[in-house]
Amino acid sequence: MKRLESVSDLKALKRDLASAPKPDATIRVCSTGCRALGALDVCDALEAEITKRNLAGRVRVARVGCHGLCAGAVAVVIDPEGFFYQGVTAADAADIIETTVLGGEVIDRLCRSVDGAPVPLQKDIPFYKHQMRRVLRNCGVVDPTRLEDAIGRGAYGAAAEALTSKTPERVIEEVTASGLRGRGGAGFPTGRKWQFARRAPGDEKYIICNADEGDPGAFMDRALLEGDPHLVIEGMIVGAFAIGAARGVIYVRAEYPIAIEHTEIALVQAREAGLLGDNILGTGLDFRIEIRKGAGAFVCGEETALIASVEGERGMPRPRPPFPATSGLYSRPTNINNVETWANVPRVLELGAEAYAEVGTEGSKGTKIFALAGKVNNTGLVEVPMGTTLREIVFEIGGGIPRGRRFKAAQMGGPSGGCVPARYLDLAIDYDSVKEIGAIMGSGGLVVMDEATCMVDIARFFTEFCQKESCGKCLPCRVGTKRMLEILERICRGQGEMEDIDRLVELGEMIQEASLCGLGQTAPNPVLSTIRHFRDEYEAHIKEKRCPSHACEALAPVSCASACPAHVNVPEYVALIAEGRFAGALEVVRRRNPFPSVCGRACHHPCELFCRRGDLDDPVAIRTLKRFLCDQEDEVPEPPLRWRGRRHGRVAVIGSGPAGLTAAYFLALAGRDVTVFEALDVVGGMLAVAIPKYRLPSDVLEHDIAYIRRAGVHIVTGRRINSLRELRDEGFDAIFLATGAHQGGSLGVPGQDLEGVLDALAFLRQVCLGELTQMKGRVVVIGGGNSAIDSARAALRLGADPVTILYRRTADEMPATRDEIEDAALEGVQFLFLNTVQAVHGDGRVRAVTCIKMELGNADESGRRRPIPVPGSEHTIETDWVIAAVGQYPDLKFVADDDRVIVSGGRLQIDSATLRTDGGDVFAGGDVVTGDPVTVRAEGPHVFAGGDAVTGPATIIDAIAAGQRAAMAIDRFLGGKGELPLDHGWAAPCKPDEAEAARPRHRVEALPLFKRKGSFEEVIGGYSRGDACAEARRCLRCDLE
Amino acid sequence: MTDTAGTQQSSVPVPPSDAAIASLLDSLDISAESNVIGVLQAIQDRLGYLPPPALADLSRRMRIPLSRIWGVVSFYAQFYTEPRGRHTVRVCRGTACHVKGAGRVLDAVQRELDIEEGEMTPDLMFQLETVACLGTCFLAPAMMIDNQYFGKLTPQSVQSILRSFRAEHA
Repeated sequence: MKRLESVSDLKALKRDLASAPKPDATIRVCSTGCRALGALDVCDALEAEITKRNLAGRVRVARVGCHGLCAGAVAVVIDPEGFFYQGVTAADAADIIETTVLGGEVIDRLCRSVDGAPVPLQKDIPFYKHQMRRVLRNCGVVDPTRLEDAIGRGAYGAAAEALTSKTPERVIEEVTASGLRGRGGAGFPTGRKWQFARRAPGDEKYIICNADEGDPGAFMDRALLEGDPHLVIEGMIVGAFAIGAARGVIYVRAEYPIAIEHTEIALVQAREAGLLGDNILGTGLDFRIEIRKGAGAFVCGEETALIASVEGERGMPRPRPPFPATSGLYSRPTNINNVETWANVPRVLELGAEAYAEVGTEGSKGTKIFALAGKVNNTGLVEVPMGTTLREIVFEIGGGIPRGRRFKAAQMGGPSGGCVPARYLDLAIDYDSVKEIGAIMGSGGLVVMDEATCMVDIARFFTEFCQKESCGKCLPCRVGTKRMLEILERICRGQGEMEDIDRLVELGEMIQEASLCGLGQTAPNPVLSTIRHFRDEYEAHIKEKRCPSHACEALAPVSCASACPAHVNVPEYVALIAEGRFAGALEVVRRRNPFPSVCGRACHHPCELFCRRGDLDDPVAIRTLKRFLCDQEDEVPEPPLRWRGRRHGRVAVIGSGPAGLTAAYFLALAGRDVTVFEALDVVGGMLAVAIPKYRLPSDVLEHDIAYIRRAGVHIVTGRRINSLRELRDEGFDAIFLATGAHQGGSLGVPGQDLEGVLDALAFLRQVCLGELTQMKGRVVVIGGGNSAIDSARAALRLGADPVTILYRRTADEMPATRDEIEDAALEGVQFLFLNTVQAVHGDGRVRAVTCIKMELGNADESGRRRPIPVPGSEHTIETDWVIAAVGQYPDLKFVADDDRVIVSGGRLQIDSATLRTDGGDVFAGGDVVTGDPVTVRAEGPHVFAGGDAVTGPATIIDAIAAGQRAAMAIDRFLGGKGELPLDHGWAAPCKPDEAEAARPRHRVEALPLFKRKGSFEEVIGGYSRGDACAEARRCLRCDLE
Repeated sequence: MTDTAGTQQSSVPVPPSDAAIASLLDSLDISAESNVIGVLQAIQDRLGYLPPPALADLSRRMRIPLSRIWGVVSFYAQFYTEPRGRHTVRVCRGTACHVKGAGRVLDAVQRELDIEEGEMTPDLMFQLETVACLGTCFLAPAMMIDNQYFGKLTPQSVQSILRSFRAEHA
């Protein structure tokens, strides 16, 4: 390019570029980040297609920088329309030219889809709609290797203006007034920093651009240098002018080859064009920039260490003062800013300080770029105004968490930062607010974590990082981080002790105070912040030897089996299905869970939520496979492990729900004489009287119960136990209370006792027992849990119409299972969200309900948004029935007079004093965890409790797990070993064949909608043999790793 | 040359001769003012690693103690004093990759290449390393082979990537 001798040359060039003939279409292919997924092949294919069709000159392929939506790689934008295509491959080139460029038609399959509909235009995609792309304005638009592209979009205009019409002081004043703070981490005001360097005595001064972006999880600096290097250079020219520096250095990580390449090209072009070097644009300013490549040391992000590294030395920090502003590079006054800060400078001058500062919060002005990564759908680069909430970034822009998992926390600021837990989702994020809750803005890395991310493991990960990267100069950092790492590793292995938590806090605070530089001073942050917000996870690792996120290898070697509360050996039985050994597979399940038929249909399958295969495509259909096994079993077999002798110990179990029967089953297998007492005439507890038949047919439940009986369990129905003394007198040595939570909560509003207001549990019981066979009129169901959904779907089948579920929050916050909600909607259940009932009206019989609308406020402890009534929004809905599904409570009247059984908050309480003093002999050994609240004795030495009666309403599999643990505790109490049967060692240790494993999940048939009304026929179908074996082969066999 | 000799030769890297080192250093125009890191990067770019005799020679030319040069070399993760495999596999262990199963990916690479992190395959084909963050978190879990990125890896895909890379570059 011709050398630009003056500012008017630059302006003329910009004018010429603007008036130059434009191509009919420009295809902008991200050729930086997307290179990893074949962007350059896409460019070549497009160009070949253009040549083939003689379109050269009319259609241009621009190899641009990052479009931001990295989840859509390879991402392509087609102008002038602004179509955004994602996941583009070279094979799509011909279609893009033919259909879109020439034909003007959108290719739906390449569009990003929102709620199932393609969104062709970039500006309409939610990811972009909620952003403010100021600094990233040209990133993804200009070809970073062409100076003309940048100048055409206004590059160097702000610098030229500053150099000719402003004094350095004026520039510093403007930067100060804009409120710009350093984007690299600490957030020091940029204008003040410049002022220090300008005022420092000395003729020779330096400025440095810190592009040693070492925080794992941050990649905005990389994207800026790759996609718009001239913006950074322009910012540095302004800085050089303001500070009086003649030389600048860009210190960039060697791990960023494309950033280095593009920056080098940009520097050469700027020099040739007279924008760098002597007498820039004829203004008399001399300024040169050189690149220095880092050699791989995180500590070099610290400014004094960086300076040492630029000088060619070991990158070790030195004490400050003197600050680099007075004595920095080669002992000269030096100003260091990071890439994003420099890139903001031209924007401050273009907009003017005032307009720049209009965006942001009180203490943090402008926009911030976040690198959004981890467990979030739309990974990529996001630029938002300071003060945007985490919820907007993660859910509106980021599109939420994949796999329907829950948001747990976001790690901000990398290894120097901390985590922001769900309850701060609605916090306006800026430098100060984030600091207050124990994290830091850092460079803007934002790694999203879900319920499968272990916070102790994350703390260990960052501490390992800091420990490896500690330069070793000062002892607190060098040795302290090592000691912290050892403790964390111990905890992750399940070998920690409670004192370790205090040790970590003490060490951490000491390292923060005593370390020489920022690396050490911030290294303990991730540990301290996870202890502050997730202490319960540390305690679970230490006390219960359990990783609640099923992530720590030592405690959760196989995540599906670990996620199953009953710890069924999933990979083992799935592998046996793949081998066609169905009976053996079912036997493996029954060695942990005597309800395979029930769980094959009605379990909420946490195993699938944590199945690693789900990170690839869909999780293995574990529940459907289990159901398949039971569908194969025509007759109830003799349990192979049935005890043939007689052993000491008679056990009474009160309640025949999943907890009671499971405990009875395992006790019977251990040779104990077990009797189950059931107050109702049907066996199964909630399984029999709360789950409608379309989900769990009677014969399925009966099959499992018959198996349990064949194992030697004696069940007495129709006998209600009125006092524990009764059983003691009958000579039982141990009692297990598993009475469940069968009492429904009341609405607590006027009119709740009118005829036609039903409690969901009572209603479902009548339906399940066949006492209620039809229901006419309109039904309003109040609640958001599974009982609400069950009641609504049952009412619909009984003939009610319309059936409306009234819930005070939205579908996203509903506790009910996702597919149940979807099925209900499909069947015609209506949902009225954000409404709560205030009163029920009628004379004798219900006629209407008054509701009030709600709006969602800020996050509660769990991160769910709190519903708040909207004043004046009361309205009335006419209805013939109201079903209240608002809570379930245990009925504990039978122990009310037994003063040694503690009932509190309506639940059976564990006696923690007994537990601590002599709990040891009951719970010692085996794999029962001391302190498990579910199996603690409620009274005396021989009464145990578990299931919903202790925990409140939980899931089927939780109840089964409680029964399993109770059986072990009771067996030990009676002198046994309290061990569960062996559950592994039969399946062949075969990793899946790659082709087999690539198959998508096998679907099952569902009952057609027209057959569902008026019928309780089962809705969801099962697998054929072929499907089951093929589905089982999708298992990745994590157990073999 | 017999086949056996040929095999042996390819499995033992030959260190550059003193003369080769001297001529390389001549070409770099080294003086007492040179930037140590820059010179070391240049030498490593040519030789693939930093042979100790080259460091001794460099110390003489720059008139600085060998201990200081070793200090710099051993401080930075990217300097190597031993020969390395022809292609460097860098498995990312950044935060985003970590939460998406980078540990299993690294295990799979180690199993496939039958070497540990920091080692070289016996045929000199691959050098295995981990890196703090590749800055490609959207590809997590990710790795690079030389300057080429591979993303959204699974233990299965790693196997096929390495096998086809080996076939292409054999």
